Order: sequence, then structure tokens, then C-alpha cells
Amino acid sequence: MNMTITSVLRVCAALGLFGVACATSVTAESTLYKAGTVYTMTGDPLSPGQVLVTDGKIAAVGGTVNAPAGVTVVDLGDDSCLLPGFIDAYTQTGLSGGTDEFTAELTPDFCPALAIDWNDRGFAEALAAGTTTLAICPGTENVIAGCSCLAKTNGERESRILQNDAALFISVCSDPARRNRARARPDGLYNRLPTNRMGVVWILRSTLDKLRRGRDIEARDDIESGFSGQRPLMAVARTSHDITALLTIGEEFAFAPPIIVGGQETYKVTEQVAAAGLPVILGSLTTGSANGPERTELAYNQAGLLSKAGITFAFSGGNLLEQARFACRFGLEPGKALQAITKTPAELIGVSDRVGTIAPGMDADLVVTDGDPLEFTTGIRFVMVNGQVFEQ
Amino acid sequence: MNACLTLQSTVFAHQDKDLIVARITRNMTHQAPRFVAAFVAAAIFMITSVSSAQETVAVKGGRIITMAGEPIENGVVVIVDGKITAVGADVSIPVEASVVDATGRVVMPGFVEAHTAAGLSQANESSNPSVPYLSVLDGIDPSRSYFKQARRDGVTSAAMVPGNSGMISGQAAVIKTSGLFVDDMVLKSNTAMKISLSPTGGRSRMGHLSALRHELDAAKDFAEENADADVSTLKEAVRQQLQLAIVKLVTGKMPAYIYCADAMDVAHAVQLTKDYEFKATLVLDQDCYKAAEQIAAANLPVILDSTLVFWETDPRTNESERIVTTEVFRAAGVPFTFQAGSSNNSTLGNNYLWYQAATAVKYGMPRDEALAALTIRPARMLGVDQFIGSLEVGKDGDLVILSGEPLKNDTWVETTIINGAVIYERSADVQLRRLLNGDAKDN
Repeated sequence: MNMTITSVLRVCAALGLFGVACATSVTAESTLYKAGTVYTMTGDPLSPGQVLVTDGKIAAVGGTVNAPAGVTVVDLGDDSCLLPGFIDAYTQTGLSGGTDEFTAELTPDFCPALAIDWNDRGFAEALAAGTTTLAICPGTENVIAGCSCLAKTNGERESRILQNDAALFISVCSDPARRNRARARPDGLYNRLPTNRMGVVWILRSTLDKLRRGRDIEARDDIESGFSGQRPLMAVARTSHDITALLTIGEEFAFAPPIIVGGQETYKVTEQVAAAGLPVILGSLTTGSANGPERTELAYNQAGLLSKAGITFAFSGGNLLEQARFACRFGLEPGKALQAITKTPAELIGVSDRVGTIAPGMDADLVVTDGDPLEFTTGIRFVMVNGQVFEQ
Repeated sequence: MNACLTLQSTVFAHQDKDLIVARITRNMTHQAPRFVAAFVAAAIFMITSVSSAQETVAVKGGRIITMAGEPIENGVVVIVDGKITAVGADVSIPVEASVVDATGRVVMPGFVEAHTAAGLSQANESSNPSVPYLSVLDGIDPSRSYFKQARRDGVTSAAMVPGNSGMISGQAAVIKTSGLFVDDMVLKSNTAMKISLSPTGGRSRMGHLSALRHELDAAKDFAEENADADVSTLKEAVRQQLQLAIVKLVTGKMPAYIYCADAMDVAHAVQLTKDYEFKATLVLDQDCYKAAEQIAAANLPVILDSTLVFWETDPRTNESERIVTTEVFRAAGVPFTFQAGSSNNSTLGNNYLWYQAATAVKYGMPRDEALAALTIRPARMLGVDQFIGSLEVGKDGDLVILSGEPLKNDTWVETTIINGAVIYERSADVQLRRLLNGDAKDN
């Protein structure tokens, strides 16, 4: 069963739903979707449930919906489930021409938006897997790397970007030290601070120190807005000592609580993380080996352990539904697994007013599955972005 | 003949005569016992090769998916001395049996992996691309984590096959996944010859194929010239032994695994099976889905690459397409089985054989067919279906007890039984608890 992206761009006409509103359509055409179960993510699932989509937005949702006369009705069947489109809170999808700047450590005013290849296959892959919104983030090899760009996985260019300067990214891990050492040229550009993890932390602390003392510092506004809580601060930290270092620096400089990105060993320091109220965007789950990135000690049930400790978390890094499925298998409650790919990431990246739940006024970003979304054998029937249907 | 002499001297450089004699003897014993035991029922062989005492095990109370007929509700499987002696709903449990309670659970044949090198300490012989005389039995490391993981995942038998980076890479064997020593694990040795069509050592495809054909031609010549060879002298016996496997291949007595890296290799593989008249199972890489029709026409069984779903972009039109190999081959009518991904493959889940089946079902494969592709189908493909692959009287007592229906998210292997012995229990799996919950305090 091959899926050609151009061929799936067939709008609802292919389904006999002629006239369903596209993202750019100005006519107020409506479609009523009847599903076996609707996971609104705002409360208990509706079973059965109905969702009215008008002009790319959700107009109404409920057990039954009073639809206007003449509305197109699509009965998805008793086994079908409707979910909000999934949200990947941390990805480098589409970021072309490199994700890291090697000649400088502090690039807080870097912004991915104009470096994104919107035709990148990654968007089609994400869409086919049910992901409708991405936080496209800079790489991890700069101490302060820049900001993220929030975008839909499909749609007209203008309507695709939700936010340009979203979260500020910092790295509290060894990554920035990775490529600064060149033995052949001890005096060269590529032999400079930091070449180890202590240097990474030192740069971060000295920057925060300059900020506090009001010293001259490049792109001060961009840095300040992240640390003052005006926009989310995301800190890449994977090992337990990365995370405790982040907590220590956070306490020392009293900055707004960051969001941990990666967080593979958060399960080892759940008490401290829960006490500090830090949410976690978990890096992509793997099952092939016992170790994760930076030789972190993986616990396959990391999500279940975080959940038990009362820590807010989301999944990230592609293949979101499959990650949620495995998280359930490994010990997470099913309800929380779906939250972690819809509502929670929307809240963490700051777009929960538009996506992540099925509620009136939200963007019509939906996923339709053939059965229980958390079963490995369940396929995705179609995905909708801003009311536009992409068939599988 | 020159090629043959080279092979001989290579071996002599590394091993002394005693070792080679030992190998000859061992290869002979590996061939025989399970088959003889099954059909001739020679008690002496049974006692020495399978287990030392008469032991009776009864698995009772589960829903039994036998893979040979309809499932049996609330059934019983009786295993005596490693072999199934009864399967059914109205089976009386012998008084001497140790009973394994499977009430409320699902009992299935153990899963069969049709192609893996994960149990070998090294997958490929890198010093020489043509080593037909090698046997995986000399490279299997029973202490590798692969085996522990296999038992946990319900894989009770696996075909150990040399890796894909060679030319004629040696002989495969079907082994059980439990045992301290290789000799305890072997179900059938020297089952098939591994051939790879992916060029090695800086060769082009032209050069690789030419060298491969040269080896096969030389083997054919050798077979003809030595049909009545006198093997009474050690020297001659050794010379014959080194050629034994490849001669078997080119005389149609041993099948082959042919690894195809690209779709173009499939045509060569098909041609080789015709020219040299041997049976073959194709081990396919991703790209080979393009040759599905050709494979169907040649009527060859296939083992799919562990990545079942992937994307391709046309370099000229930039059109992207999602490929689901299971659906491509189902549409072409080609029977296939799965292989699990290696541990360094980061694709979520594809290191589990059951997950491959679940993925195939997700994209349209009927569930029963997917279960067959985990059990009886690979057993047939490997030529060992008289021993494993289904729960039937006379077959080996290899089964898994699942906590629920197979392929469901929350279904786990609770117990794995090989040759009638319980060799895995989830309740005692400390490593699994550690993998799941790390060193978290409350676990």
C-alpha cells in the first residue's frame, strides 16, 4: 500500500465530501464527523462522538452535535477514533543547511524559520504518522542555541507557521564541547572554549552573571526573554547530573523554570524535578539497546515513572503514536499516553489555544484511526490539518 | 582446482590436523541426531541428544493457538521427554506431569526467526569472501544477550546465518535459543549456504558476480571429478570435507540464502538458482520491494528487511512515497517472513519479532497470516516444520504462554518452554524489570 503524497493531496472530494473547507477557503462550508470514539483531551472520551468542522476550525464537539441543515456528514464507523493531531514538541524536521553554529557558542537570536525547507520529506512523514504541529528547534551544540519555530506539517505557507520566536534553547549537556577541539591547530578557531562539559556550564553561568549585573551582552533581549519567563526556556539535559546541574543553576540565578528536553535520566531524580516543577519533553524512545544518547541509562518505562512522580511530560522526536504505544506497554496509563502527544506538548510549546485538544474554536487538526489508537495493529485512516484531509 | 588448493592451505595455516578431524566428526554428528531420533525413534540417540530423563510437562487451561487448525479453548498440551504427546481440550494429564497453569492465557508455538546473525560472535568472515566450508556452529556464542532477549520475546528457534558482507559466507544452522553450549541448541546444522550479492572488498557488482560464478563452477567441476573419490586417506578426506558444503549446494542437496542488497540483485539471484539448480530463500534489503513481481514469478520465498515501512523520494520529481513492504509482497503473492532489526537499529520496536507481525497487521495483513509468519511459515521455509512451528503431536515441546491475545499492546510472554523445559518466566525476569524501570527506588 503505497502512499503518494501528491496523490493524497486530494481533498475531501475523493471521499465524496465535495465542498469541505480547506485552510484558505472563505466559504463557510461544514462537515460533521461521526466517530466511534472522540478523544477530546479536555475530559473523558466521547463514545460515540461527533465533531463539526467549519472553515478549518472545530465548530462543535459532543456526543451529538446540532449541525446546520445541508451539512456534509461523514460516518467514520463504530470502531473509528478521532483524536487531536499530534504535536511534536522537539524536532529538527525541515531545518536545512545544518542545525548548529560551530563558530560561536551564544546564538540566542538564531531563528530556524527562514532555514526551513518546507518541501522536506520529514513533514510528509510526520503528517502520515498523525503529527500536525511541530516545534522546529535548533541543534544542541551551542550553549544558547536560539529559538524554535512552531509550524504545521502541511498547509499554505502563510498559515503554516504558528509562531516564529517561540522557546529559547540552552544546552546543559556535553554537546557544545563536541567540535571545539582540533588537535592539528591548537591556535585555531576550532580550539576554543568549551572543550568540556565544565566549560559549557561556565559559559552559561557567566552569561547569566553578565545578565544579572547588567553588563554589555549581545542579543540581551533574546536571552532575557527566555530566562525571565516571557517565553518558554528549554534546556537540553539528558543525564541525571545534567539535570541536577540545571536545577542548581536555576536556583542560583532564580530564572523561570525551564522545560527539560531529552531528560532520559529524569527518572533517577524525579523528586528534585517534581519539587522544582520542571516539565520534561522526553527524547525519542528507543528499544534496541540498554543505553540512550550520551550513554544515558535508559528505563523503557521512563514515562510511567515520571507520571507516578507527578511530573508533566510530553513525547518528542517523531513516531509519536508509536512512542505512546510503547510507553503504555512499558507501564504508563493509557490516558496519559495520549495526553503526552496532544494536549501536554501544546501547552509546553505555548500553542494550546489553537491545537492539542478537540474543542470549539480550535484548529481542525485531527487524526482518524481504525480502532484503539494505542494498539500496535491499529492504522491511521486519515489526518486533517486546518480542515484539509490527507488520506492514507 | 587452484581455488580449492588455496582454500585448503588457508585452513591448514590456522588449524592442525586433529582439529580438522574433530570438525569432520562433529559435522557428521550434527547432521544426524534430531532426524534419526524423530523418525527411527532410536532410543539411544534420544537419550544422548535431547534430555537425560523422562520428563512430563502439561500446560493446562489456556486458549491454545496451535497453528494447525482451529484454536482450542481451555486446552491441554502434554510434553513428554521434550516432545508433544497430546494437544486438545479433552486430554487427561498424566499423574507424573509437572503442570504449568495457563488458565486465562494464550498458548502458542514458540516464534521462529528465519534469519539472524545476532547470536554469532562475529557475523562475517572478513579475511576471505568465499568460505563455504565454515559453519555458524563455530561462531555461535550462547551467552550473547540476543538469546536472553529472544527467550523473553518468545523466540524459541532461530536460523543462525552468516552476515550479509561476504560472497559465499558459510553454512547456516537452525538452533533453539536456550542452552549453555551450541551442541545443546542445534536443531539442524548445515541447513543452507549463505550467499551475498552485495559486492565486497572493493569489487564492482560485475566482479563480485563473476567471482561468485567462478567459485560455483569450480565446485561443479570438483563434484564431477571427485564423484568416486577415495577418502580413505586423511589428506583426501580433508580435501573432500572442505568442498563438501559447496558441492552439496551445486548438486542441489543444500539450499541457499541469497542476500539481495538492491532490486537489481534479485534477477541475478533468480538466474543463479536456475543455472546451478539449487533452491533459495531470498534475504531482501529495503530496495528489493521493486522486484516483487519478479520474485513472485520465480516462486521464491523471502525474508523481509527489518524496516517494513520507509519513505523514498524521487530525485527528479521530489515526490515522496511511503513504502510498506509487507503490502507490496502480499499484493504480489510472495510468501514472506520477518527478521528482527539489530540492536544498533534505532527504529522503535523493530528489534521485536512480534512487533514486525503487528506492523504488518496494521497495514493490512490478516492476523492469522501474521501469526503464521511468526511460526509455521518460517519453520517450513527452514525445512524444520516436522519439529517446530505448530503445536502438534510429535513436534518439539516449544511454546510460549502469553498474558493475552498475541500482538495486543499489553500482551507479554509470561513463560517460554523449549523442549518441554521452562526456560523463561516473566515473574522471575529481573533484567526486564531493570530495563523497564532502571534503578528507580520503588521498583
